[in-house]
Amino acid sequence: MIGQWRYWRLKTKLLFLTLFTSALGISLVCISLIFVENQNYRKQLESELHVIGGILAEQSAAALIFDDKEQLSSIISSLRRIDNIRQVCIYNSQGSIMAALESEDVRTCPELEPAPETGFAKNAYRMMMPITLDQETVGQLFLTSHLEVLRKHIRTFVLITAFVGIGILLVLFILAIKLQKIVSGPIVTLSDTAERIARDHDYTVRAPVSGPDELGRLGNTFNEMIGTIEEQNRRILESRDSLEREVDARTSELSMANRELEAFSYSVSHDLRQPLRAIEGFGQALEEDCGEQLDDAGKDYLRRIRNASVRMANLIDGLLILSRVSRQSMEKEPVDLTALLQEIADELLEIGDTLPTEINIQPAMQVIGDSRMLRVAFQNLLENAWKYSAKGEKRKIDVSAVTRNGSIEIAVKDNGVGFDMRYIDKLFVAFNRLHTPSEFSGTGIGLATVYRVVRRHRGQISATSEVGKGAHFVVTLPVSGKQR
Amino acid sequence: MDSRSILVVEDNPDDQVLMVRALNSASSTTPVVVLEDGEETLKFLFDKDGKATKNVESLGVVLLDVKLPKVSGLEVLRHLRSSPATQWLPVIMVTSSDEPADLMDAYRLGANSFITKPINYREFVDQMTVLARYWLQVNKVPDCGSVRSF
Repeated sequence: MIGQWRYWRLKTKLLFLTLFTSALGISLVCISLIFVENQNYRKQLESELHVIGGILAEQSAAALIFDDKEQLSSIISSLRRIDNIRQVCIYNSQGSIMAALESEDVRTCPELEPAPETGFAKNAYRMMMPITLDQETVGQLFLTSHLEVLRKHIRTFVLITAFVGIGILLVLFILAIKLQKIVSGPIVTLSDTAERIARDHDYTVRAPVSGPDELGRLGNTFNEMIGTIEEQNRRILESRDSLEREVDARTSELSMANRELEAFSYSVSHDLRQPLRAIEGFGQALEEDCGEQLDDAGKDYLRRIRNASVRMANLIDGLLILSRVSRQSMEKEPVDLTALLQEIADELLEIGDTLPTEINIQPAMQVIGDSRMLRVAFQNLLENAWKYSAKGEKRKIDVSAVTRNGSIEIAVKDNGVGFDMRYIDKLFVAFNRLHTPSEFSGTGIGLATVYRVVRRHRGQISATSEVGKGAHFVVTLPVSGKQR
Repeated sequence: MDSRSILVVEDNPDDQVLMVRALNSASSTTPVVVLEDGEETLKFLFDKDGKATKNVESLGVVLLDVKLPKVSGLEVLRHLRSSPATQWLPVIMVTSSDEPADLMDAYRLGANSFITKPINYREFVDQMTVLARYWLQVNKVPDCGSVRSF
């Protein structure tokens, strides 16, 4: 029960404390009263017996001198009428028993040598008294009294004190119930108020204040705190509102800028291509229709013009894809990555070169993401793997995935020329290339696009390589598609 | 050979020349009509009351640039699809970009096909050859009226 003390209500605790201390006090008082009463009663008994003994000694002194046993017996037999006397023995100066009064439980008078124990024993009080005549000891008186009366008296006293104590405790109990409300009442009110505020988040509520004591001060402090919270809430709401307004303004600015950017990239895609198409188209027409009239140098220049226009077109395409994966809204869905990669690989194998090629794609790879963007990203990665492994004797590309810590890690490995890890910083930056155009053609936009796609999926990309030993790209995507 | 003509609506003079060249190299006998913008095209196809002109009858296929001055290609397509006389006329939208939004809009408005102007005109000629043959074949069906009544 005491183990549950912490869970008791405050009222109960106060009541318990009051009653417990009162009961303890009352018990201590009762116990000391009983102790004092016991002592007093014993002293009284002792002195009574001494008086009786004294009278008896006086009466029996003469008879003892004359060895008158009959007289002695009649003297002590008068003591039978006193209830608590159990045994009386009279000895002469030689120590022989001259007369004895005996009850059922005590029959034999003790010898005088050695002297019998006197004073209070467990159930009796024993007393030795000299019988004197003219200051001369003529014999001894031995007297035993039982303590039945004492015990009865103390028992009665204990009962009375217990009754009185319980009575007082009852009165205290009723008083404590009334009085604890004075202390616990304000605290309970305060606690209820605090609970209500916490539940309803209504900071306009105030606790009633009881008075100038600590509880009153607590109530005041509590109210001040609630006031501060109310004020702070108001300020937070105000600043939130102004922030929201600002965010709205920014958002509309941003979406306007985004629309402008979209219009810009749309017109780039249309208008930048048009002159290129003319250059390439008329270049082709020139080659086909008037090729005969050009010498070798002229044909070479024409070829260079047409190649440049194709490169320019590729650049524009790359930039358009990069800008599209940056601004397009994401539509996340489960994507069968294995099928997607297989499609890309099949396209590569179909249009690719004659180099013996082995492409291993781990089956049943699943990710969550925007399938169009993921296609762009993995197309770039596979095309890179293809392109940079074109100069060996056999091409080998491996794509595998492991799930780890709530992410899927997709590794794309090739056995191509690789790159120098010193330039890893430039790898994913647009227009940075780690190979010259004469080694490998390219726009320098592909990996920047991959990086952008992966970042938009809240993923990461890393690459390791060693020159001549192939490259190893790892794309880490979160398995759960909940984040946006 | 079929006498139905191909209508090319293209604002850029370079592209006009290149497209006509590509079409001619695919089928040298098919007449090609070239118009420069949407407004002119609508005037060519419809009279003041919105009825189809005689020009429509000789058309086999329309190559319509998405981006045109004044009235856009998509707008022209919408007009074509809302008039009973031109409802079933094959229309191939031509664009210089492969913006998915353009493509979606074009198909939603009822374009029959969609081609991106490639940088390499050889590809364009190949695409045109395939498409032109296909649509000229389709339009050879003698009783065009019954097709339209579907």
